[in-house]
This record gives sequence, C-alpha cells and structure tokens, in this order.
Amino acid sequence: MQPGILVDLNRCAGCGSCALACREINELPADAPDDRLSATSWTFIERRGGLSIKRQCMHCLNPACASVCPVGALRKSDEGPVVYNERLCMGCRYCMIACPFGVPRYEWDSTEPRVRKCIMCWEKRIQKGGEPACTSTCPTGALRFGEREELISEAQRRIRDKPEAYVNQVYGLHEAGGTSVLYLSPVPFATIGFPNVHKDTEYPGMTWAILDKLPAALTVGGALLAGVWWLTGRREIMEQVRSGEITMDEAMRRRPPVTGDAADEEVES
Amino acid sequence: MRLPSLLGRLTVWRAVLGALLIAGLYATVIRFGQGLGAATNLSDDYPWGLWIGFDVLVGVGVAAGGFVIAATVHVFRMERYAAIARPALLTAFLGYLMVILAVLFDLGRPMRIWHPLVFWNTRSVMFLIGWCEMLYAIVLAAEFSPLLFEKLGWHKPLKVVRRMMTPLVILGVLLSVTHQSSLGSLYVIAPDKLHPLWYSPMLPVLFLISAVAAGLAMTMFESCMSSRAFGRRLEGGLVRGLGRAVVVTQAVYLVLRANDLIYRGALGYAFEATPEAVLFWGEIGLGSALPMVLLSSRRVRYSNSGLFFASTLTVMGFIVHRLNVAVTGMAGWTGVSYFPSWMEVTVTVFLVALGVACFGLAARYLPVFPKAEEEPLPESLAPRSGKPYDPDRILTRPALLGLWGMLALGAVGVLATDSISASPQAEERGAAARAGAAAPADARHPSAVAQGLEDLTLPPPFRFPASEDSPGPVVFDHADHVDPMDVRCDACHPRLFRFTTPGTPAEGVVNSDRAHDGDLCASCHDGEKAFSAYDDCMLCHQESEG
Ligand code: SF4
Ligand code: SF4
Repeated sequence: MQPGILVDLNRCAGCGSCALACREINELPADAPDDRLSATSWTFIERRGGLSIKRQCMHCLNPACASVCPVGALRKSDEGPVVYNERLCMGCRYCMIACPFGVPRYEWDSTEPRVRKCIMCWEKRIQKGGEPACTSTCPTGALRFGEREELISEAQRRIRDKPEAYVNQVYGLHEAGGTSVLYLSPVPFATIGFPNVHKDTEYPGMTWAILDKLPAALTVGGALLAGVWWLTGRREIMEQVRSGEITMDEAMRRRPPVTGDAADEEVES
Repeated sequence: MRLPSLLGRLTVWRAVLGALLIAGLYATVIRFGQGLGAATNLSDDYPWGLWIGFDVLVGVGVAAGGFVIAATVHVFRMERYAAIARPALLTAFLGYLMVILAVLFDLGRPMRIWHPLVFWNTRSVMFLIGWCEMLYAIVLAAEFSPLLFEKLGWHKPLKVVRRMMTPLVILGVLLSVTHQSSLGSLYVIAPDKLHPLWYSPMLPVLFLISAVAAGLAMTMFESCMSSRAFGRRLEGGLVRGLGRAVVVTQAVYLVLRANDLIYRGALGYAFEATPEAVLFWGEIGLGSALPMVLLSSRRVRYSNSGLFFASTLTVMGFIVHRLNVAVTGMAGWTGVSYFPSWMEVTVTVFLVALGVACFGLAARYLPVFPKAEEEPLPESLAPRSGKPYDPDRILTRPALLGLWGMLALGAVGVLATDSISASPQAEERGAAARAGAAAPADARHPSAVAQGLEDLTLPPPFRFPASEDSPGPVVFDHADHVDPMDVRCDACHPRLFRFTTPGTPAEGVVNSDRAHDGDLCASCHDGEKAFSAYDDCMLCHQESEG
C-alpha cells in the first residue's frame, strides 16, 4: 500500500482550502504566512505563471531526509507517509540539507525546536483509514488521494485524453526515484519552479554506495596496518640478529616489539 | 593600591581577550536562552553555517595530524617522529573537544547529543560521524594519557597504556579515516544543491586527503608557533619531513581533484567569472598548489619562515575548501546569501581561543615538546645576507606580509560570497522564474470546466435557517453564483466562507450584520458588484413556510 496525492494544476482554482485545512488539522497558527513553506505552513498555494501550485513534501518512496536522520526521527511509515518523531530529533538539520526538494523547515525561534513538514495527516487520518485533510477539502478535484499506482494510471489517462492540455510528464513518477505526491501541469515543470532533480535515482543510494564499501575498506585497512606493524617489527628483530645481539632461533620466537617498550624499560629502571 | 599594578597589566591583548570572553558569554546566553534564530543567521535556506562549516569540518580536519603521526610512529616505526607526535595528538584531542562543544552550540536540541548512542540509524552518515567523533575522542585521550601519567609519575597505568598502544593506534586510524571521509560523504546526497566545482561522489576521498595535508601542516604550524611562544626549538629535520609529506599529499589531492572535475565535466565552471570560481582558485591555487611548490624547494624547507608560510597557506586553503563546501557552494541553489552573525563568529573565535589557551597550558605543564637539539644549517643553505641564522625568527617580514595578504584575500573572498547570485544554478532558477512570470499575470488558467475536462458538479443549494427577526431563511445556490466559463472558487472560498466536507451542508446561523454590512455576502452585494443587500429582502430571503 502506497498512498499518494495527485495534484492536477489544470483543475486547481487556487482557493487555498487545502492550506487552510492543513492549518486546522495540524493546529498551526491561523496567521502563518501563506506564501511559502515554513515551520507553521506545511503546504501553500504558490501563484506563478497564472497557475496555482500546491507545494508540500513530496513523500518520496525512498526519502533522502529519513535516510540521513542519525536517530531515525524521520522515517517512512509502514502506511507510506514520511513521518517525524519529535521526541527523537536532536536538531542536526541534516534532513534539510539532504531533501532534494528543499522541504523540511525548522523552528528557529524556539529553544526546543522541531523539524516541520507535511506528514500526510499520518496519525490523524491515514492510520485511521482516512484521507488527508487537504485532499478531502479540495472542492474542484484538483487534489486526489488514492493508491499511487492508480493515480499514475489516472494521470496518464488524463494526459492521453487531453494531450493539448498537459505536458507529457507526471512529475513525481521518476523524480528522486519516485514520490507519492504526483503533479500534472499544462506547462513544463521547470518553468514553474519544480526542481530538476535526478530521475530514477534514489538519493539515499548515493550515500549508501559509499557506506557499503566501508566495512571492506576498514577490514583491509586494519589488516594492512597490522601487517605493516608486524613487518617493521620483524625488521627490527632481524637487525638485532644481523648485529649479533640475538640468535636466529631467538628471533623466530620473538613477537614484534611494541613501540614504547624501550621507554617502559626506562621507566622501570 | 592594587589598581595601578592591575592597570599596568592591562595590555591590549588582555583587553581583547576580556572583550572576547564577555562577548562569548553573551552569545552563549542568547544561543541557549533564546534559540538558534536569535543567535545565528541560519535559516530554512541555510540550515548549516559557520558552526558546521568551520568549527566542525575544520576542527575535525586539522586533527588529522594526530592519526597520521601516531601511525607513522607506532605502525611504521619511524620513531624519530615520536618527538612531534605529542603536539599532534594534543591538537587532535583539543580539536575533537572543540568540535563537541561546537556541536552543542549547533544542535537544535543540545541536550539530546547522546541520542545517536541509543537511537540508531546505521545507514546514516551523520550517525557514523557521531560515533566516530565520540570513540576517537576517547582513543585520543588514551593515546595522550602517557603524558599525564609521566608527569604524575604513575608507572603502572603508563605501562598498561603503552602495551595497548599498537591496537589503540590502529583503531584510531580506522576511526579517523572513517570520520574524515564521512564528513565528505555528508554532502554526497546533495548533488543538486552543492555547486559542481565542489560536489563529487569522490568527496569522502577528497576530504580525507585534504584533511591529511591540513593535519600535517597544522603540526608544522604548531611547531613553528610554539618554538616562538615557549622558546622550544623547532624540530627542524622532522618539520622538514612533514613538509615533504605535505608536498606528496597535496600532489595526490590536486591530481584527484583535477581528474574528478574533468571527469564530471565541471572544469568549465572554474573559468567563469563568478565568485565561486574566484574562491575555487583561491582554495586550489593559494591553498594547495602554492604551498606544494614552495615546500618542494629545499631552500623553503630549510627556512623557518618558509615552513611557517607554506604550512599556514595549506591550513588556510583547507579552511577555505571546507567553507566553500558548507557555505559558498550552497549559495547558488538556495538563491539566498548567508553571512554569519557576530554571535556565530564570536563563539567560533572563542572556541578557537579556548583551544589555543589549552594548548598553551598543556605545553607549559606537560612534557609536550621534548627538548630538541639545534642542528646546524647545511653549508649550501646558509643565509646569504649578513644576518646570522636564527631559527626563532619565524615571523619575519616576508612571512608577516604574506599573512596579512592572505587575510586581506580572505576578507575579499568572504565579501564575494556574500554577493553570490550569478552561479549556474541560480541562473537556471532565475530563468525558470522568468519563464514562469512570462505568462501574462491576468491570463487566469482556464478552469477544468471551461476546457470541458469534466463536468463541474456544484453542491446542492444551502438553506440557512432563519434567526428570530429574519424575514425568512436564506437559500444560497452555487448555480447563481458561479460562471461556468470562469470558475473562481477563490473569490469566496475559503476567505469568506469555509468549504464544508462534501456532502455535509453548512451549519449554523450566518451573522446578520456581517451578511448585510460586513465581510460576508455584503462584500459583493454592495450595490456595485452585485445588487445591494438592502435592495429587496425577498431576493435572498424566502417566505417562511407556514
Ligand atoms: S520531499 Fe524531502 S522531506 Fe519530503 S519525503 Fe522527500 S526528502 Fe523527505
Ligand atoms: S534535524 Fe532531527 S529529523 Fe532532521 S536529520 Fe537531524 S535528528 Fe533527524
């Protein structure tokens, strides 16, 4: 089960009910700015190029924000939405650096700040089998909640039926490896501020490719260092043999000296 | 009667230190009393600033000398470097302590700094960094402890630690390598945000190598400084050895960096007239190539000011690189510029000063710098001028001039970053914005209905119950209010009237004053946009039944 939201910019009348509903259900202040994402505004309608564009967390299928969170405060829930546990978050703000869409916001003016972003009404609606506040209030059908797969076919159907009304792209189908929030638009997405993120590439994988090499690298490195230590130690012992201090037999039985042995003797004497 | 002597001691430096202390305390109170927003210029566009870019990235980086020299001495058994191992370890240890302090300042919830120990996300680089930071700080303390035990004359623990030295050092190397490279890995997940001159999937490797160069240079720098401050002699031969190592490391770094830029096709950005390109060349040219060239000259390696100058350049270049990654390289994407607040700067300077002070104290009271023999300068390199060779004279005029020059350059660089806007990404975004704006503002996008995309289903008429003195209930019908060719829900919704859940009719009584004179019906029914609310009651009110 992967719930999604299909946002059809052709159908959005720009009334802002969704943003208002978000504010109400999440108990965000009514006078929060409604022209940008902020700690108190998790979704808003951007007016751009004659369009009204609902902005919010994309709920990536493999979210960068959750992958980087050291304590697992952000995570992808079993039900699908990318959710946040404020009791775990220590405020490193790596999630804000990592999110390719620049979504997470922070409560800068608080002494107990939290990361803030849309959680698709996870505890209040999704877990109870409902749909998010925004989609359920949308009067025009511009927002549609449903199974992601179904929404994709629906989106593709709309493009097929009215090719002159849409650009042939479902934003979110491939973006950042796929997102749960999908957009349809009458104009190219790049012209209305949709970031040109990597397609069919899950961002977490970029880091994991490196992390996966680490155990092997460390094992080899550790073994190498131990080997060098042993070799240089042997060389010291063999030098003693060469100078006639000890016999070969003794040398074979000796373990490589630890640096500082000499200093120890110094201390003891 | 004490006053005159007190005043007498009030030198300029003491005044500066005092002011710094007061300012640092003030900034600390603001930071923890009022939050990050009050103390810093960080924002949603710039979540990481000076404290991450300098205090953490640089603080960890310059500590790299500790693991390199420990390995040189204990694993490669080049035991003559033991003399220089202690200052290197001390730097590393203090560096790590400073980083922990800085992290406390930077974390939104500093009291939860321990969370990664309990709540694990092992697939997170930040998690790894937290663990490395903590574990290596412990290892460093252990590696450094013999000094303390020597001083105190505790032979038992001294022996134990010495026995464990080899595994400790190897563990330290592994932790350090992980830590240094992971700081670079942090940014691997931000390919769109970090400017192509700095973004690379190779960042972990580049971070590791540049940290090694900086760590070695830092040890050289300290040897130079402390020989001046504490009257200890420079370990000439050893510092020259470090200098050679810096040459090799910088060469490897430069080759990798060039390769990487060419491979990714990003080299072109270096030749554009952008502040990013300037800072890039400052970092690469002055901070890597120049010291490499300088240090490959024997003459420079045998000159104290040469060593000092070259090591300072390397460390500065390193600092600029880290700040470029953390601050400059992000400016283009966010489209906003960031400049640290005075409190961020003060806390940073304060932490550095604290580190220097601790270093000074340790150098005075612990056997950090062993007594070293002074070695004669090779015949061929004897100074040509008449002045006798004086190893203590490091801050010679050329070195000082060079330092001031670098500071001036740094200031220019910083100002330049402040005005960054012409980066490629910013251009792109700007272009996108313009393209968006190009659509005429009043060209309201035809609604779905006008396009015939689907039928517009309007809600059934609402019937508002009549209040006591009302001539009758009002029935509101969407059909009378919506132009199917220009559906504009937002004319009324949700500012004037909330949407109700589909299927649920509106509830309650509409305030009569607001309907007739106020902001509800009357906002259109004012006699101009639509008939006035007072024209004819029965246009809206219906006869009450019965
Ligand atoms: S859009 Fe950003 S905040 Fe939302 S799930 Fe994706 S990475 Fe996380
Ligand atoms: S700020 Fe909080 S939610 Fe974001 S990565 Fe750090 S700990 Fe996780």
